[in-house]
This record gives sequence, structure tokens and C-alpha cells, in this order.
Amino acid sequence: MSKESYVLFELGGSIYGIPSQNVQHIEMFEHVTLVPNANPAIDGVVFSRGQVIPALNLRIRFGLPRQEKTVRTRIVFVIAHDRTVGLIVDSAREFQNLPVDSIHPIEETLTGINGRYLKAVTKVGERLVLILDLDAVLNVDDVQVPAEAQSIGSERSDPSQPGQTSATTVSTH
Amino acid sequence: MRDDFLAEADEHLVGIRQGLLQLEASVGKAQPDAKVVEGLFLEFHSFKGISAIVGLAPAEAVAHRTEDFLRLMREGKAQLSAKGLEVLMAAIQKLEQVVAAFRSGSPLPGYESLLADITAQCEHSSLTGPSPRSGPSDTDLLTRVEEARARGLQLWQYTFTPARELNASGITVTSVREQLSNTGEILKATPQVQGKGDLKFEFLIAARDAPNDLAGWEAKGVAIKPAELEASQSPAIQAETAESAEAEHSPFLAPSHIVRVDLKRLDDLMRITGEMVIHRSRLEAQLARLNGAAARVDLRGIQEASGGMARSLRELREAIMRVRLVTVAEIFARMPFVVRDLARQTQKKARLELAGQDTAVDKYLIERLKDPLLHLVRNAFSHGVESPEERAAASKPQEATIKLSASTIGDSVIIRVQDDGRGINPHAILQRAKTLGVELPQAVDNHSILQILCAPGFSTREDADRAAGRGMGMTVVNAIVRELGGNLTLDTEEGRGTQFTIRLPLTLAIAETLLVEAAGQKCAIPQSFVREILLASEDQLQIANGIEVIPYRQGVLPVVRMAKLFNLPGTPRSKMCLLVITSDRGSVGLLAEKVLGQREVVVNALRDPLIQVPGISGATELGDGKPVLILDGASLTSGSVRPAEPDISSSQMHQYAT
Repeated sequence: MSKESYVLFELGGSIYGIPSQNVQHIEMFEHVTLVPNANPAIDGVVFSRGQVIPALNLRIRFGLPRQEKTVRTRIVFVIAHDRTVGLIVDSAREFQNLPVDSIHPIEETLTGINGRYLKAVTKVGERLVLILDLDAVLNVDDVQVPAEAQSIGSERSDPSQPGQTSATTVSTH
Repeated sequence: MRDDFLAEADEHLVGIRQGLLQLEASVGKAQPDAKVVEGLFLEFHSFKGISAIVGLAPAEAVAHRTEDFLRLMREGKAQLSAKGLEVLMAAIQKLEQVVAAFRSGSPLPGYESLLADITAQCEHSSLTGPSPRSGPSDTDLLTRVEEARARGLQLWQYTFTPARELNASGITVTSVREQLSNTGEILKATPQVQGKGDLKFEFLIAARDAPNDLAGWEAKGVAIKPAELEASQSPAIQAETAESAEAEHSPFLAPSHIVRVDLKRLDDLMRITGEMVIHRSRLEAQLARLNGAAARVDLRGIQEASGGMARSLRELREAIMRVRLVTVAEIFARMPFVVRDLARQTQKKARLELAGQDTAVDKYLIERLKDPLLHLVRNAFSHGVESPEERAAASKPQEATIKLSASTIGDSVIIRVQDDGRGINPHAILQRAKTLGVELPQAVDNHSILQILCAPGFSTREDADRAAGRGMGMTVVNAIVRELGGNLTLDTEEGRGTQFTIRLPLTLAIAETLLVEAAGQKCAIPQSFVREILLASEDQLQIANGIEVIPYRQGVLPVVRMAKLFNLPGTPRSKMCLLVITSDRGSVGLLAEKVLGQREVVVNALRDPLIQVPGISGATELGDGKPVLILDGASLTSGSVRPAEPDISSSQMHQYAT
């Protein structure tokens, strides 16, 4: 039975997974430098391996309440399409090899509040593991939509839709 | 091998493009600029060679035939007609297509009709061109004659007639030649056959002084007279003299002792140097601590060594940066072709003026700027330039001028794309923005127009037209400029024209900065933007036009509170530091709580779109692993970061703020 490696982490009581191949490394979360005018989900930037990397707070991204950082808070550096972004999570648990045929595409019923950031679902033991859709999580335009523009909804991922332009994306001068 | 070919091919293509542009001035002249033709000839020749090595037959064939045409031109057997230039242009375009296809592994384009065109030019030229001159090296000779004259040398004709008795006393053409070479420079040696099969040798000598010892020479069978060049040659020579100053700047005279280095290796060097800088600043910090703690140890020696290391590191970095610099000519040279092609495809007339081609910019920047500049130039043509009728009605010259210029100001490179076209109608832009649902600005000014233009999905044309439609869009242009730590500004006036200005740091690597602090946040600001630092207190601030200002010199300065930038409440202080930030866009006062000192920092670009925000041009690290943002003086002063509004709104503070 073929298996794929995932990094599992916790956020707001749920367990999420990211394919290991997209994870560069995981660090303790210590310092973040604030970035003015960035999207609310961006806590700031961190310096890692010679690069300045955005730290995206996954709680804010998923609409969960902000949480004080704890000794277990981790920053998971993910790589997708030549971008490196740090995801701030409650805790990162472990690597786990998951059988490919146990991973099921997400069902309609699950696409609720943060459903569009999810790609698939599986089980480890009795616990549900939600597999992230990294492209959706890192989607810049999506992140940049101010809360009041949420109604644009499904059209959002279409880059030709100008609706989602907020003042912050378009760097100005 | 393939990469080598592609790199070298690109270089030759750039050279050819530059050469062709220079050649354009020669259209219709009796004799095209010899040096330019020679340069082009060599470029095509080399191109043919490298194409043959990788077996790229179409490129080889086209280059070969073009070389033939240029040879005829060089030999004075071909004149350069407008059609001839067209054919040469077509040749370079074909070579570009072939190389592009080779690069991407796609099928190679056909080239037979082009070959026929070039051949036709060769034949046409041989029929109608001026009659062939005496020898193939005449052009070279003319050049040498002209050079000798430019150096103040005189020309003399020595004629040696061999004779048996001379030969007996050891005087032969060889010995004469040797003696002549001591007298001056032999420009030309021609054997002449006389009536009965006798030979004589004519030497054209360039010498500083008039020959002495005429009798002595005569005894050796040598007659001397001042050289008179044939009448037919004189005009050409004079024409060349007139152009000689120009010819000296020909790009083909570039020295050949050049090493090609993969940019990655330079990046590695720069990265290592950057790491050394960080290590040294750690050392410096440790030394400062030791110095404060125990005065028992004499640290002066170490401090001196550390200081010396700092100097060497700075030199090393500058040296590496210099290595990375290339001139903008690399991308500029391509643009006139773009405009020419566009003009041919439409009814519009425009020419492109280039300025500041010698401006040196980091190679990486140049690479990244290629497409944005192409887009801006195309935009200028398709959106800015009006039809000839429209222009005539506005009493403008029928041919529009698009100006592409580069210059260096302080630590910044400024690249402008300017047209004298119709300008941008703000109402049309607003209207279009409204129908597209793009967020509308409160005030309509250049800045907000640019913001709309750069909004994703915004395009002023319903149907993407040929020129601009294929482009990357202003959104991408803006994103790339931001990614490079620069900024884009717009100046437009309806009816008068539009100007886009790209400001970039000269290099991405290093900046001299001042470290400032407010609300617990440290920031660096490039020193080149800081005109002065003043002490200021809250009661000096006033409110004008809804924003905070502070009296400065004769007027007032808008104030940006650094704490407010971060949406943090500042720490109240009796005295604040006011940094007067100045760029070519204007001035603004940055209100910080402390100035921590001066620091040379390694600049990291903020590559990810999630953190490309106005007012920040990059980040650095000071040895403690924490990023420090680098403020962008240009955008602070250009109004894209709004000065502080007087009402201190409730600020949302991150828990993680330190």
C-alpha cells in the first residue's frame, strides 16, 4: 500500500496536514517583526535561512480567535510555487506516513467556514486530519480581501476579477 | 554547451541590434559608417560560427548570407538602401526567433524567403552600387589613414624600384621595408607592375616628420613625395574624419578580455560577504560589551582589527557590486525595434529616443526589468500616442516621441518612460474603474490613477489590442518594481503626455541606513533619503488640511508618525526625533522616538506578495536573527503612505508585538 508523508499540526483543536514535500522546516515561534499595512492575517516577517519570510497566522486566516503565543506555538515554513511562507500554528506534532487510499477529497458538507482552504480528509486512528489546500491558503488576492468584501465569494479565485482589489495589494508608488 | 551558446548568442544579438541602430543613420549615404559595418560584420560572423557549433542551421544560413551582404557594403560595393536596412532588421528578428525557438525547444521557423531577400539585396547592390574599388582592404586603409591624420602624422609616398645593382649591394624590398618601418608607420605596401614586367613598390608611410636624407634614400632607389590620395578616396576620408569622434564610442570597440560569470556565483559571493558583515557586527557588539564590562583587558588591538575588517568588507562588497553592474543599454537597445514594429503595424507614427544608456544597474535588476519596460513602452505607444490626424489637430508633430531614459541619483536608479501623447483622462479611468468594480479613490490625482491602473484586471481597452494586450499588465509591472525594492510613479497631463517613473535602489545588496525606533519597533531608513535630523516636541505639531504638519524652514512639513505606520500607540516623550526625508517627489518628516545610530545593512528584498506593502522597501537583519524593516523614502514622500491623521484611532495591537 503506497503512502505519502505529511506534517501534522494543530489549530483550534483540529488536526491539519500538509504534504511533507511542501514543508521546508519548522521552528519555534519567537519573534516577528510587524509589517505596517499588511493583511490582518499577516503577523509580520521572520528571518529564516537568510530570507525574510511572511508569517501568516493561520488562526486569523481561518477566522478563529487569536491566541497568545505559547511554548508550543510553531511556525511551519511551507514552500509552494517558489514562495516560502511561514504558517503560525498552535503546535506542530509530527511527520506521519498516511496511506494514499485513506485520503479522501473533501466532501461538500465540510466546506464551511474554512472549507475552501481544505483539500482532503483522512483519519489517523480515531482522529480526523484535514489536509490543507496550500494554494488556497497562500492565495494572495484571497488573503487581501477585506472582510467587508467577502460577498464576492466564489468568483474570488479568478484573477481577472477586479473586485478583490484592496488598497493593500496593489502596491502603490 | 547549449547554455554557453544561448548566453553568447544573446550578447551578439544585443551587439547587432545596437549596430543596426547606428547603421540606420547611414541609409542612402554613399558609404555607410565603416566601423559600424565592420562591427556588424564581425558580430554576424561570430554568430554564424557559434550557430554552426551547435548545429543551428537556420541561424547559420541567415547569418552567413547577411555577412555576405555586409561584406559587399564594407567593400563599398553595396549601398545601404532603406530596403536593405529592412532586410537587415528582418535578419536580426529571424535570428532572435531561431534562438528563442532553440531555447524553448520548439520547432525552428522557416527562413528561405528571408535568404532570398538578402540575396536580392546583394545582387541589387552589386548592380547599382558604386563601382568596385581597387582592393578589398581599401576601407581599412582609409580608416588607418584617417587615424594617422588624427594623430598628427604626415603621409608620404615612398616608391622603391628594385634594380640588379641595388640587389647586389643588399638592397632589396625587404631591407627597404625594414628601414621604412623605422621611419614611420607603413599604412600600405603595393607592388606595381610596369610596362615590361618590371616591378616597383609603393609604400604609404605615416610619419611625424618630413623625411630627411632624401639623397641617401635616392641612392637606395627610393623616391619620396608627399602622398596624394586619389580624388575618389578623398571625400570618403573627409566624411570619416567628421564622424570619427562618434565612431570612437562605437560599442564594438569594447575590450575582449571579458570573463563570463554565472550570476549565481556572484550571488554566492555576495551572500557570503553579507554573512561576513553580520558576523563582524556580532563581533563588534561583543567587543562593545567587553569594553563596558571589564577595562582590564586592552581591546584596542582587536578593535583596530575589527575596524580594518569592516573597511575591507565594505570594499569587497563594493567590488562585487561593481562586477554585477551592467549598462541599461542591454535592454534599451531592443526598444527602438519594438516601437518601429508597432508603428509599422498601425497608422501611428512614433520614434523612440534613448538617453542615459550608460547607466549601470545590477544585472539582476536588468533581467527583471526587461518585461516591465517592454510593457511600459508598448503602453506608451498604444495608449499614449494618438493618430497623426489627432496629433495634427492638437498642433503636435505628426510623429510622436517616446523617451526612454535612465539616470543615477544618489543610491537610486531612475528609469523613465515618457510620451508626448494624449495623457490619461482621469474621468475615463474612473468610469472604467466603476464599471469594473475597482475600488475608487477619494481624490483623483496621479497617485490614485496609478493605483487604479495597477489594480488586477484593469485594462483601459475593451479588446486587448495588439500592442498592449499581450503584455503583462500594470499589476505585474508594479509588483516586479516593488519586489525589486523600488517604486513606480505616474505623471500625466491630459493632452500633453504621460510619464512613468521607476525608482530602484542601485543594487539590492547593501544600504547605508539610519536605525530609528518608535513604539518598540526598529526600522532602518536609507541615509540617502535623510536630509537632516531635528529634535521636535508634540506641541510643535499643527494640523493643516486634516493632516499633521510641523513648521520647517520657511514652510511646513507633513508628518508621518513611525508608530502610526505600525498602528501602534507611540510612547509619549517630551522630545522626538524628526527625520527630514527627501526624495525627488518631495519631503516629509518622519517622527521617531529614538535614532539608534548609523548602520550599513544587507538588504533583503521582500519577495512575497503578502508582505509587499507601501512604505517598506526591504528588510535586513542586524545579527540577532530578527528582521528589521527598511523604510522606503520615496514612497513616504510620494503620498502613497499618508501622513498622520490627527485623530488617534484605536489601534489594534498584535499580541506578538515585542
